[in-house]
Amino acid sequence: MNLEDEIAGKLCEKFPFMTDKIYVQKEKRIFTKPLSRDEFEKTIRYVHDELGFYRACHVVGTDDGDSIGLLYILSNKDSILLILRESVPKTNTEVTSISDIYPSIVLHERELVDLFGVMVKGLPDGPRYPLPDGWPDGNYPMRKEWNPKNFNKETMTYQQPQETEAQKNG
Amino acid sequence: MVESDNFGDNRIAVPIGPQHPSLDEPGCFDITLEGEKVVDAVIGVGYNHRGLEKVCESKTYIQDLYIIERVCGICSHAHSTAFCMGIEELSGLTIPPRAAYIRVIVAELERLHSHLLWLGVACHEIGFDTMFMFTWRNREKVLDILAVLGGNRVNYGVNTIGGVRRDLDETLTSQILKTMEMLEEEIKYYVELAHTESTLISRLAGVGKLSKEDVIHYGAVGPVARAAGIEDDIRVKEPYGAYKEIPVHMITDTNADVYGRTVVRILEMQESINIIRYCLKNIPDGAISVKAPRKIPAGEVIIRVEAPRGEDIHFIRSNGTDIPDRVRVRAPTEANWHGMKHMLEGGYLADVPITIAAIDPCYSCTDRAIQLRSEKDTRVLDWKELRQYGINFYKKQGIDISTLSAGR
Repeated sequence: MNLEDEIAGKLCEKFPFMTDKIYVQKEKRIFTKPLSRDEFEKTIRYVHDELGFYRACHVVGTDDGDSIGLLYILSNKDSILLILRESVPKTNTEVTSISDIYPSIVLHERELVDLFGVMVKGLPDGPRYPLPDGWPDGNYPMRKEWNPKNFNKETMTYQQPQETEAQKNG
Repeated sequence: MVESDNFGDNRIAVPIGPQHPSLDEPGCFDITLEGEKVVDAVIGVGYNHRGLEKVCESKTYIQDLYIIERVCGICSHAHSTAFCMGIEELSGLTIPPRAAYIRVIVAELERLHSHLLWLGVACHEIGFDTMFMFTWRNREKVLDILAVLGGNRVNYGVNTIGGVRRDLDETLTSQILKTMEMLEEEIKYYVELAHTESTLISRLAGVGKLSKEDVIHYGAVGPVARAAGIEDDIRVKEPYGAYKEIPVHMITDTNADVYGRTVVRILEMQESINIIRYCLKNIPDGAISVKAPRKIPAGEVIIRVEAPRGEDIHFIRSNGTDIPDRVRVRAPTEANWHGMKHMLEGGYLADVPITIAAIDPCYSCTDRAIQLRSEKDTRVLDWKELRQYGINFYKKQGIDISTLSAGR
């Protein structure tokens, strides 16, 4: 059995919900399907404490239409990447910060806050990243609906696009 | 310097940046001092954010390649390699072996010029400007090769989806080998210097400590991690492209400080020369690219490559069209910032510039993409005009150098 299957097996053994959610994409890449908040929090502590995934390389935010997808990329000493997914609706984007377990994730989580409008609970105090201080509230540039053409750089204001007659009538 | 009321009598807050002579790019370091010792540091980055990833979502893959190459001025090839590899994996392309070798040769040349640049900057930060002149002179030789190969000094444009755009000919191969011979001699001297020059050692040893445990805790990568004895080199840990066939010796050190990072980088340059020589000896003949599809099948891919500064991660999600759904770049500097506060705290104010420089920070990489464009008053000066401009500049300062350099 290779290392990737062994790790996936251990996770399935510990958490039965993983059985139909975990898959080995290729060598050194283990992905999960979106986990619920509770499942995610349990898993991330376990993989850090017990499975030796000592480094959080990154968290990628994706705009999936009505929801925001989060991919937490973790790495172990064998350089295997475990990608844990979470998905939050755009109407309630609250997630828990994992910076208490992985301090190396802070900048990436701040980026989720600024660019995707994800509410990350438990982030340590510090300067915002990467948008400037005067950036208008409610503007999340990496969301698909945010169009840079509607943003006025001089006044730092975002003009909501007018709905055309054709769009109104469907 | 600002005296702060909040810290009692003996604490002083010193804001370094966003614009500061000791910083090569904008970053903000709010340092709190007790005497000369740093007791707290708040690091602010983000001044170079230009929304590159958003741009990538509105351009085609081949247009994105142009943008991705400009994430960083130094490790541009590392970024474009990662991006190309990702798209090739998504579309099931196998690049010709010759192309894979050319990618490695350029990557190692890039590592050489990046490390030479860093060594120069680091030596400049500690007041060792002779060494700065030496290393930058050597770096020019590497840039000359890259300019001949790619037509540009830093953004070579060698990579394309499905292979590379430029081939090596015999003239260039012999030029590379000749330069490597010269560089090998120079780097031997730097190795000797790093191991024996007492001023250099005492200036760098013990500065900006980040122990093995701290590297793990803060997730540092590249030479910063290797200098603390951590075996973390993607070329060895997850070989990609031609690195699967090429022997790579991973360089580590146990000093875990700025001195260790210096030694690691100098020795890595020797290793890069070995890799380039191996590649030139064993490079297969054949085509240098295969035709890539315009539309890329839907999928997700995470690619890692070893940039000169450490692990570079690209995430690409395609949706079956010719435009990516999401491109995310995690440059090595972005991982190395987290340990910076720890490296600065407990050190002296005078060590702050070299400690920051020791991670070889690339602010553009962290924030992804910088736009350098002047709207007006842009013109090209020829040599004569440039010389005259220099003479006039110094005349205004009260120095007339026109008579001194009349014959040149």
